[in-house]
Amino acid sequence: MANNYKDNEFDVIIVGGGITGAGTARDCAMRGLKVLLIERHDIATGATGRNHGLLHSGARYAVTDKESATECIEENMILRRIARHCVDETEGFFITLPEDDLDYQKKFVESCLAAGISAEVIDPKDAIRMEPSVNPDLIGAVKVPDGSVDPFRLCAANMLDAKLHGAKILVYTEVTSFIKEGDTVRGVKVVDTKTGQEAEYYAPVTVNAAGIWGHGIAAMAGANIGMFPAKGALLIFAHRVNSIVINRCRKPANADILVPGDTVCVIGTTSTKVPFEECDNMHVTPDEVDLLLTEGAKLAPSLASTRILRAYAGVRPLVSADNDPSGRNISRGIVCLDHETRDGIKGFVSITGGKLMTYRLMAEQATDVVCRKLGIDRSCETAVIPLPGSEGGKTEEVSKKIWAAPTTAQKASAGRAGTRARGISFDNSVDAALVCECEEVSVGEVKSAIENLEVHNLVDLRRRTRVGMGTCQGELCACRAAGLLGKAHGCTERAEKDLRSFMNERWKGMYPIAWGNTLREADYTQWVYNQVLGFNVEE
Amino acid sequence: MKFDTVIIGGGLAGLTAGLRLQQKGKSVAIVSAGQNALHFSSGTFGVLNEGAEIPENHPYMKLNLEGYLAEVIPFFASAGVVLKGNPLKNSWRITPMGKRQEARFFMEDADPLEGKDTLIGKKALVVSFPGFLDFNTSFLAASLEKSGTAVRIELLALPEMDRLRENPSEMRSVNVARVMDRAWNKVVSEVKLLLKGEDVIVLPQVFGLKDSAIVSAIRESFDQKVLFVGTMPPSVPGMRTQMKLKQSFEAAGGTFLMGDEVLSAEISSERVVSVKTRNLGDHALEADAFILASGSYFSKGLSATTEEVFEPLFGLDVNFSEGRSSWYDADFYSAQPFNNFGVMTDEKFRALKEGKPVLNLYAAGSVLGGADALRLGCGAGVAILSGLAVADAIAPESK
Amino acid sequence: MKMQEYTLSAHNFEECMKCTVCTAYCPVVPANPHYPGPKQAGPDGERLRLKDPYFFDEMLKYCLNCKRCEVACPSGVNVADIIQSARIRYSKSKPKLRDRILASTDFMGTAARPFAPLVNAVTGLGITKSVLDATMAIDRHRTFPKYAGKSFEGWFKRNAAASQEQFKEKVAYFHGCYVNYNYPQLGKDLVALMNALGFGVELLDKEKCCGVAMIANGMYDGARKHAAHNEKVLGKAASSGRKILTTSTTCTFTMRDEYRELLDVDNSSYRDNLLIATKFIYEKVNSGEVKLVFRKDYKAKIAYHTPCHMEKLGWGVFSTGLLKMIPGAEFTILDSNCCGIAGTYGFKKENYAVSQEIGKPLFDQIARIAPEVVACDCETCKWQIEMSTGLPVKNPVSILAEALDLEATAKLNQHE
Repeated sequence: MANNYKDNEFDVIIVGGGITGAGTARDCAMRGLKVLLIERHDIATGATGRNHGLLHSGARYAVTDKESATECIEENMILRRIARHCVDETEGFFITLPEDDLDYQKKFVESCLAAGISAEVIDPKDAIRMEPSVNPDLIGAVKVPDGSVDPFRLCAANMLDAKLHGAKILVYTEVTSFIKEGDTVRGVKVVDTKTGQEAEYYAPVTVNAAGIWGHGIAAMAGANIGMFPAKGALLIFAHRVNSIVINRCRKPANADILVPGDTVCVIGTTSTKVPFEECDNMHVTPDEVDLLLTEGAKLAPSLASTRILRAYAGVRPLVSADNDPSGRNISRGIVCLDHETRDGIKGFVSITGGKLMTYRLMAEQATDVVCRKLGIDRSCETAVIPLPGSEGGKTEEVSKKIWAAPTTAQKASAGRAGTRARGISFDNSVDAALVCECEEVSVGEVKSAIENLEVHNLVDLRRRTRVGMGTCQGELCACRAAGLLGKAHGCTERAEKDLRSFMNERWKGMYPIAWGNTLREADYTQWVYNQVLGFNVEE
Repeated sequence: MKFDTVIIGGGLAGLTAGLRLQQKGKSVAIVSAGQNALHFSSGTFGVLNEGAEIPENHPYMKLNLEGYLAEVIPFFASAGVVLKGNPLKNSWRITPMGKRQEARFFMEDADPLEGKDTLIGKKALVVSFPGFLDFNTSFLAASLEKSGTAVRIELLALPEMDRLRENPSEMRSVNVARVMDRAWNKVVSEVKLLLKGEDVIVLPQVFGLKDSAIVSAIRESFDQKVLFVGTMPPSVPGMRTQMKLKQSFEAAGGTFLMGDEVLSAEISSERVVSVKTRNLGDHALEADAFILASGSYFSKGLSATTEEVFEPLFGLDVNFSEGRSSWYDADFYSAQPFNNFGVMTDEKFRALKEGKPVLNLYAAGSVLGGADALRLGCGAGVAILSGLAVADAIAPESK
Repeated sequence: MKMQEYTLSAHNFEECMKCTVCTAYCPVVPANPHYPGPKQAGPDGERLRLKDPYFFDEMLKYCLNCKRCEVACPSGVNVADIIQSARIRYSKSKPKLRDRILASTDFMGTAARPFAPLVNAVTGLGITKSVLDATMAIDRHRTFPKYAGKSFEGWFKRNAAASQEQFKEKVAYFHGCYVNYNYPQLGKDLVALMNALGFGVELLDKEKCCGVAMIANGMYDGARKHAAHNEKVLGKAASSGRKILTTSTTCTFTMRDEYRELLDVDNSSYRDNLLIATKFIYEKVNSGEVKLVFRKDYKAKIAYHTPCHMEKLGWGVFSTGLLKMIPGAEFTILDSNCCGIAGTYGFKKENYAVSQEIGKPLFDQIARIAPEVVACDCETCKWQIEMSTGLPVKNPVSILAEALDLEATAKLNQHE
């Protein structure tokens, strides 16, 4: 592209720092474009970080939506190659319970095979042997290539690679309006949400990748996308109950997927239409919690007596096609809109619909449109070039390559950062010390995240490193991490405010399930923060 | 085994009641399911925040508050625990975040500041050790600076700490304190070299795990005021206090069953006859009186399901509200209704079951309802004062 | 059940509140920086191991399995069980020859006993100790427990078995390897004491080593075999209504709790019948079934050390309760601290320094109190404390047997 850019001129501006935006930024940057990505919060704050973390095989959609199913299995296989450190190849079961129709299994297997998804019928006894947590009453099981994927890690790796290819990333920056000339979008006006500083950026093409908030972004540009905000609530259990993904073999319904991810497992989801204004502040209700537990225990009965860590909810960015009140029957298909042909707005593209699994394909489609508009002919390479950190093998291989005798914290780092763990300092005992004991996150890993991964606050740090995601939900580590952040940013006052809000954010996911051990943990954490540390003192 | 009193719970309330009864010549057994909340102490005992009103159903309404407050310092002294502070008036402590928080009684390595403004205009040297993440000097310093104290931070790298630092997770207050048992005088001499005209020295509470003599010796080594400030748990002063209370209780002839748990109780004609424990099995513990000092949620003195908050051992009456949405506030720092729930008692602290008192079962400490320890700042006060009051209710005669 | 009425997890690891109390009571943490500590090795590590067994850390071998973390835990987490069961499930390290030898207490006993004087002389020699130190990594400072010339079982058959028939009420006795091969006197004391209290003693139908040393040294299959054998033998005794007495806390604890928790051996057939002798005696005295007559001339300054597994069993009150009854005893209960030996752990050269450092607070306190005798219900603590303080260590059963006027006691306890 042209070489004489001003500082605020780009080839493409991408609005939205979720996985779609990050993927699009990576793809555009890899194709040689000068890229600006704008995100009003942190990366992966929307639906990207608020789902199961399921590496769909596509089997879930095989019966109802063959196109999505095929996309899923293709992307599934790609992610196993390019995002190895984000993916856990667990396999998945689709189980049939006595109250389900076993005839559906036949249709299911046929549809899977037709979509190119391997689907092997397993004897229920073998299924129990392979996955002891599964409901022992099952009457059928089918094995499919499901897995789990860490969406935070995936998003951060895409963002990092985009940066390595020259992209500029602006987080905590909100688009306030579009700069238009007639019916052409020329750029965006933004405000830095931390400082209030305003700025303008220009590019011939702007991509709206803002998920459910893309509805508002499009409206700002003068286009209308009929979006359907469908809230999905999920529960995180404190450890891995299952090592194989468990799904119900029936038409998709509430709480029918249990995914083992990193040190925990997640049951979800519900599906309720919510008003747009609620999308920024999701609360999980007692009814949703009860529903998730009751249905979840049908997949794995031990969930009824397993400690829960958190409840959370996200909003699916579905594009509505009909008046279905549940949102279940809307296609999960990708919607890539060139607003020039659709609405007569030039220089503006929206990429939405789809799902975490197909983010790369979405990015490819959006980038294709952008390139076409810019008159660039370069093919997409995101399906073949591994993400930063994913050049190695499994955790064991990676960590053994870096350290002769890896410690537990080093193994954990390699699990999270892949080959990039090489850059994490364990050189001295201070850097090797643990910040987060539940998840084995060291001082060195925290420092490395702050330096390389756009960490502005503790919540950002949590998304990059799992600090505070473990059993104690930040009780021990948040204070330590806040100290390190304060030092890195040179502002203790900000770090303290951040610590306050981080503990509140943790509490938000705890109080919907605050009975049993969660209430015990809350009792203890409240004592430490509000009594020992004195956080409830009015100043 | 037969005792005069069996106490369920070996925390501050149980130990207070047990020691008091043992001092009165009673034979007492304490069953303690593990260690207790003194391990997370702030180094101080709060009784009631200034200006806080005592609610109708608060345990203080059932005891002679001023009378018992006057007894606290001598009572702890009898167990070898030195407490400072004005029994009837709050002083201030500096929290690990540098906040000023009210408290009534202060352990030896905590310092009662008379006013919120005591340190204003002073120059302070905050000393810690490299890599000791549980004592956050930067927060402490920033808060002190903000309120008008000039602060300098120094990190002391002592070779004595090197071995401990090799372990990535065990650089905790208590382990640092074990090193300091041997290295404290080196800290003193090093700090003397670091001083640049400061009038206050701030040290973490990592000295004198077993014996507060080290704390006194450090204070005496300096002309400057030495201020000890708390760390993240475990709490060194809290552990020391727990140990002293337990030792005094045992020295007075008490039986302390550590790591055992009461599993069941036999109740007959509105009286508890005996309790059975996990370790002793069929060997029941009999007594004339029983004290339930089993703590709050953390210690499992109270438990909650999705539907109710209950007292798991005897099924006593608990003052919880219907519907779990009413148990919480969405703001972590606001008063949480669940902190107010607990066992209900009659005027003599006898626990209620289905509205009627169990005649020889007394409740003490944070298992009691009506006392939101965080909002009112009354956690330790309720434990100590109800412990004393219950002991006196069981054995009204003096020694 | 109602949804979420309670939570279940292996060895209660999910009850952990991350309160750090266990770390403050672990005797290894202050002495050995390579040990991750009970919280990390236990409930924290368990979540990672469930994700991927690769997260197993061989440093877990430094856990003494003293269970002090479990005694201290306010949440009922069986921390040491989590650690030991992780070793069983994941450890890839094979026990060394040295470890196998140390662990095979009964085999060694059988092999060495006939040559006891020779073996004792040889293992006591400085040169042998140096050789063992250099070739086997058994620390040279250690005094090898001496092997007795005649086994306890042999003595019992020849000298005691017949006379037990006169007693109507009987108890069974699990003597363990130590009494059988190294210190038959304790067994003899128990027989004398029980007889004076009016109980006959019978031995089990071929007991085997409880297997504690095998568990500690990673020989799990062997330990399971022993456990299965002992379950049958003990179960048989229990089914005839016998109480099974022991004089070792560790054997008792292993057969009572470790079989069930770590080796998955169902021991409900005898679990409630197995108890330390002092508990049995205390309960009989307490209920008035048994009367004690103490010697008027018995005087001793006694300090009682609570072995770690006694602390875990929670039965120290029975031993100390009995010792407190001795009129001529000046009695102190020592602060509960680990002595550092932990069975075979302290014998290993690589652990010697750590072992002694762990025990130091205990040895210091003993030195301050300067008792004539240290009372203790565990044989390995006995070796460690004797070696480290130079004071004699006796089992409470032996002290009672000395302090009682056995003849006068026997007269009062002739059960019909």
